[in-house]
Amino acid sequence: MDQVVEMPEMKPMPRRDRALAKRIWRNKWLYIMISPGVLYFLIFKYFPMFGLIIAFEDYKPYPGKGITGSEWVGLKHFHRLFTEPDFLNILGNTLTLFALNLVFFFPIPILLSLMLNEVRLSVFKRTFQTLVYLPHFMSWVIIVSISFVMLTMDGGIINSLLEYFGFNKINFLLSPDWFRPVYILQVIWREAGWGTIIYLAAIASIDPQLYEAARMDGAGRLRQMWHVTLPSIRSVIVVLLILKIGDVLELGFEHVYLLLNSMNRDVAEIIDTYVYTAGLRQGQFSYSAAIGLFKSVIGLVLVLFANRLAKRMGEEGIY
Amino acid sequence: MTRKSLSILMTAMLSISVFMTACSSKSEEKQSEETQGSKTTETTQTEQADTPKSEEPFPITIMLPLNIAETPPDDIKKEVEKLTNTKLTYQFFPADTYEEKLTATFATGSLPQVTYLKNQATFMSMKEAIKDGQFWEIGPLLSEFPNLNKLKPEILNNTKVDGKLYSLYIGRPLARQGIIYRKDWADALGLKAPETTEDLYNMMKAFTEGDPDKNGKNDTIGLADRNDLVYGAFKTIASWFGTPNNWGDKDGQLLPEFMFPQYIESMDYMKKIRNEKLMNQDFLATSKTDQTSLFTSGKAGVYIGSMQDVDSLNKDLIKNVPTAVVDTAALIKGPEGQQSTWAIPGYNNVVLFPKSAVKDEAELKKILAYFDKMMTPEVANVMYWGIEGVHYSVVDGKAKVSDDKEKVEREVKGYKDSVIGEPETNGMYDPLNTLPARIHADSELIPANEKIAIADPTAALDSATFAEKGAQLQEIMTDATYKYMYGQIDQAGFEKAIENWKSRGGQAMIDEYNVSNK
Repeated sequence: MDQVVEMPEMKPMPRRDRALAKRIWRNKWLYIMISPGVLYFLIFKYFPMFGLIIAFEDYKPYPGKGITGSEWVGLKHFHRLFTEPDFLNILGNTLTLFALNLVFFFPIPILLSLMLNEVRLSVFKRTFQTLVYLPHFMSWVIIVSISFVMLTMDGGIINSLLEYFGFNKINFLLSPDWFRPVYILQVIWREAGWGTIIYLAAIASIDPQLYEAARMDGAGRLRQMWHVTLPSIRSVIVVLLILKIGDVLELGFEHVYLLLNSMNRDVAEIIDTYVYTAGLRQGQFSYSAAIGLFKSVIGLVLVLFANRLAKRMGEEGIY
Repeated sequence: MTRKSLSILMTAMLSISVFMTACSSKSEEKQSEETQGSKTTETTQTEQADTPKSEEPFPITIMLPLNIAETPPDDIKKEVEKLTNTKLTYQFFPADTYEEKLTATFATGSLPQVTYLKNQATFMSMKEAIKDGQFWEIGPLLSEFPNLNKLKPEILNNTKVDGKLYSLYIGRPLARQGIIYRKDWADALGLKAPETTEDLYNMMKAFTEGDPDKNGKNDTIGLADRNDLVYGAFKTIASWFGTPNNWGDKDGQLLPEFMFPQYIESMDYMKKIRNEKLMNQDFLATSKTDQTSLFTSGKAGVYIGSMQDVDSLNKDLIKNVPTAVVDTAALIKGPEGQQSTWAIPGYNNVVLFPKSAVKDEAELKKILAYFDKMMTPEVANVMYWGIEGVHYSVVDGKAKVSDDKEKVEREVKGYKDSVIGEPETNGMYDPLNTLPARIHADSELIPANEKIAIADPTAALDSATFAEKGAQLQEIMTDATYKYMYGQIDQAGFEKAIENWKSRGGQAMIDEYNVSNK
């Protein structure tokens, strides 16, 4: 990989370059201050991208082979992925979970922060806010275990209640119909509170004069929320939405993998879990990398699309 | 784009880390078993290893996984160095991330002279590199070393790659699978230890419906099982029904276990137990922790798995139910009265010798000489049990671990997991057991089990398809097996799954194994 890092050749500088050098020199402290960040991105984000080559190779991690010495196989791994009989199903499951995430999860933090904003008593507001974002710090293993204890048919609270009130027990953990609701509820429970932080900050920065003016015009609390708060945080919402779309296929491998079992695989297998069984568990590094690359391409396309849409709607977008 | 490339990396890392989590629960299981490491045959006393004092100590660097949090102190290492006239450098790496460390070290060509893998799975994934000639073949040299020569040929055979031996193995008893059950419940209901699968069914039924804890409430179940077809109850029950171990011979052809009628019979058996609510209904979503707590809380009366789990199960059970008594059972007869069970390949881990670090055959021989000495009781005991009088004492010719379990764990465990062979071959002490159920299992059931155990005929065979997508194919059949037991598909549906398995690469696997078997 040495050829990647090219040293600039030393030759007499034309005038414009000299001016540039002078400007850099003048602002040297700024450049020094920014360099750790730039280096971080170069080393940890850009440099590893060259490793993507292994998606087109039969990568073998041992001396004499490695990234540069492994056999070049072109699109073989992509071919395998697209001809996999379950491929469409897995892609469909992934996109469905993403859509559910967007529709059911995304608005919740906004609603929650609007509600919190209306709370008068600041002690209550703070306590409540802390309580709702605490679950964010729990690992999925814990959250799934808690759900297991509540949902199991062998003495779980929810099934016991259902039975007590004369309903049939529901097999939440194994039924394919219940996988998606359970998934999305767990996401909401864990992440909704955390998501409010940014919105609350955005709301706090709204100029109070706007509210005063609205009140003068006779707007009630709901009207103020609709005409002042929401439009003021609209750009924040849009940016977060675009970022969220960029994460389209980051549905949480750990989370889905923990919920996945033989009975709900038809709806629960997503690209991440597939990579794990078909690629990583078998030591198929190249195949895993190929799937990862495919996933990233989808993510990139969606981000570009969402960003354009945002611009068309007159918003800033992320670039 | 930068975000996304990172995300690939992150996905990979995340996946690996979860894989590790998944594995570590299994390795814990193994650890708990290996601390008690069992054996039964007579200890073979080997002659004192001669350590020529005149020679310079030979330096050896060793890389191995560490199953505890801290690197152990040097006491044991120094003792071993003295006994073997070597200068040892141990490179301990946390077991949880050992595979990554292994891959990275390998890719940079810096593996040390002695490289331990982590478990059978890492060995499988290393096979391709072994075939590529990255490690020394040691098979032809073994006969020069009297102690290494004692290693069991059938297990060495299981670790061969393309018919050649490259590794030494860390042994484990072949067949520990059996039943752990509540003897107090059985006595209260007038039941004897189960001898047939029918008896076992009746016991689970009585445990569920007969109110064995006499509290007047219908709050007990027979079997506690978990989401594991292999180390949970299913494979063991299937082996009692006469199902082959992974692959079996049918009219001269090797076929996978699920193409045998006994497999279907076993699924029917489990299905009946579940339908009649004699076991935890959600066993497919039950983790090992939840499974054990069903047993140790006094809710379930039967546990099927490694019988050596009985110590830990009993310890927690009597905390909750002080009057509880457990016992072990095995050698269960199938419907036709035949007896069989399944065997693991007999090893837990292997040691390899990379060509990049071991320069020539002379150096390899010196390293093998060190392992030859490790196979003597003096060295094996120091590495496995620690220093006599400090970490253990000898009672009735068996090792009794000192009461300060934490100290022992801290100072010995790191070395313990690297002892090659097993007590029968390296002559180290047996553990001193106190729990009657454990003694029953170790002294009677496990040896008897080994006599009727069926080995996996494909353990030393090769299949390119298996290497490429074995796990993915296995998933098809695992899913179908669960769906059958949960009544979601019938036999026709199961046959369809087999056809699907065949068309996705299963047929290629059948062909490859049969060619490799010729």
